[in-house]
Amino acid sequence: MGSHSESGTGSRSRPSAEFVAKLRQGKDELRRDREVLPLPEKIRQVIELQRLQYPLLTRQRTLASWERPWEIEP
Amino acid sequence: MAFADTLRALNNMKAEGVIEEYAIVGALAIVFWTEPVATYDLDVLVFLPSGAGPLVSLESIYHWASAHGYQADREHILIEGVPTQFLPSPSKLADEAIETAETLDYQGVPTRVTLPEYLVALYLQPEARTAKRRERVAMLLDWRGLNRNRLDAILERHGLSL
Repeated sequence: MGSHSESGTGSRSRPSAEFVAKLRQGKDELRRDREVLPLPEKIRQVIELQRLQYPLLTRQRTLASWERPWEIEP
Repeated sequence: MAFADTLRALNNMKAEGVIEEYAIVGALAIVFWTEPVATYDLDVLVFLPSGAGPLVSLESIYHWASAHGYQADREHILIEGVPTQFLPSPSKLADEAIETAETLDYQGVPTRVTLPEYLVALYLQPEARTAKRRERVAMLLDWRGLNRNRLDAILERHGLSL
């Protein structure tokens, strides 16, 4: 993973185009993996996202009464 | 309670004539087609039974919900633990979205889900444009499964643009 190169202005080290492309490819692959998950697993992840996001949202704004993690099975 | 119970309830509403047809839209439709995204409610486009009169009312839906023990919470109805919002089709575009929805299987429950190209078009309506929706459009446009020809035809037909 150490494919960095010197480019651009000054002495700041920049990643090579190949390195950036590899990162993007990895992200695309991750998305594709998530897209083909079984639907119940996707819903389980939605509920997990709700649980993770909920405490952050409560600090940002007043939530509507229905904006809370679902207490259901996926 | 399970998510499949919520979907089953939608089908029951149709079978009982409370709604004529439905299609899931919004973030959960995206989840069906692409990847999990954070959302707290289920959005459902519906055709109300014909003869309901020129003024659209959700009274029949609220009555059905009450009869089945589902609580209403402002504009949502808590169906088997899932806050669900019903929107009577407001436009020709939404009509098409309902009519062309695909039936997908969720744990044995047939579920009508709006096609992704219609999700993009619905998000692109001037009155629907928000930062979050633009983000969802970008997500769907990135998705390899999107049918660009179908999307272009929908956008042209309804005078919308990316």
